[in-house]
Amino acid sequence: MAEDKIGSETVASAAKGKMTLFRDDRQEDIGAIVFSALLVAIIVLLTMK
Amino acid sequence: MSVAEDIGFFGKLPKALPGLALLVGTMVVIRFWIEPWMGNAVILDQKGWLIKVTHLNYILLGIIMGLLYRNVLFGGKLPDVFADGFKLSRLFIKTGIILLGSLYTVQAIIKLGSMAIFLIGGFVVLSIVMVLWLGKLLGMDRSMTGVMANACSICGVSAAVATAPAVEAKATHVAYAIATILGFGILTMFISPFIGHALGLNDLQYGAWVGTGILNSGQVLAACLAFNPNVAPGTAVSVGEIWNIMRVISIPFAVFAVTVWYWAGKEQPEGTKKSLSTLLLEKFPVFVLGFLGMVLLTSIGAFGDAGIKGGPPASATIKMIRDWMQWIFGIGLVGMGGYIDFKELAQAGGKPLKVGLLVGATKYVLALIVVMIIRDHLVEI
Repeated sequence: MAEDKIGSETVASAAKGKMTLFRDDRQEDIGAIVFSALLVAIIVLLTMK
Repeated sequence: MSVAEDIGFFGKLPKALPGLALLVGTMVVIRFWIEPWMGNAVILDQKGWLIKVTHLNYILLGIIMGLLYRNVLFGGKLPDVFADGFKLSRLFIKTGIILLGSLYTVQAIIKLGSMAIFLIGGFVVLSIVMVLWLGKLLGMDRSMTGVMANACSICGVSAAVATAPAVEAKATHVAYAIATILGFGILTMFISPFIGHALGLNDLQYGAWVGTGILNSGQVLAACLAFNPNVAPGTAVSVGEIWNIMRVISIPFAVFAVTVWYWAGKEQPEGTKKSLSTLLLEKFPVFVLGFLGMVLLTSIGAFGDAGIKGGPPASATIKMIRDWMQWIFGIGLVGMGGYIDFKELAQAGGKPLKVGLLVGATKYVLALIVVMIIRDHLVEI
């Protein structure tokens, strides 16, 4: 299915495979939000007086 | 779907560690050794000549290293041992964009004003109309034209991907659009910092130009950081990304417009029509919400003073967020370089290439002209 193959930022890789470890773009977006929340939490803890 | 494919992100993570180590190691070497060496090296009796003349910094060096890994060291294909690690590069870039929200406050975005919104909207509409017209003129496939229209008008890859199912595009159409726009984008990514410096643009003018004129989000970021590697409110990356994010937010509207154009001109059997609302819900880039959340938290002072120009200096938390953000972007962009394949770029020939280059170049030059004309009226944020 064409839809299964799209969703990649790779140059011309849409026809070859995805450029993500996630199931799809949406999962990767959520992963990025979780990852940034984790990083921000660590930074807040590190800089807490 | 096989069990091997369905092990999820954390199941695949151990296999990604060698590639991730290569991305991180590359950025460590660049930032701790190569960049300082370039800054101190005396060439033609001038200290730092390499940086002053080439304007190379950790971002461009990272992309170049990624390019060299793939196309020279690994002979055109990432080896399996590193491939999964490189697949994390987009996660890093998206995470970096979310953290970039720490550079803005709601007050600053409102201050950006109607001129920026009008300009960004105008360029989106102009690009869509131009691609649709050229596509018809050259007799290009309608699905291909639809994908190219949004790829050239918004943020390249995400827009191409979001539009594809709505206009019944094949994966090859998307691949072709991506190869064309990224190929053009790579060129603009490398030449923009030189043009910006040659024309004496400041960070505000440069950010507004590339945020409007360059097609792909990652390349806007790279071109801004290549112009000025500093990450702080008012720097090129801060201006370029807020202009770019406003363009990204217009994805649902542009997909809607192109979908209407596509189905209006096509005969279709009953029962095969795709639901537009479902498509928009499925394809909207959710990480933009993370960026907006970060802007909101910064605006209410959740991390202390934001260090906005004219206000108190940035808090320790904000400074550390911005410092970590530079590393995250750097690592992600080494990975992006590793996905640029010279052979695949060469495949982007024919009509889509003509249309992509024509529209891309028009937008790139026109954005520069418009920014030069209104440069005294741009609002600093």
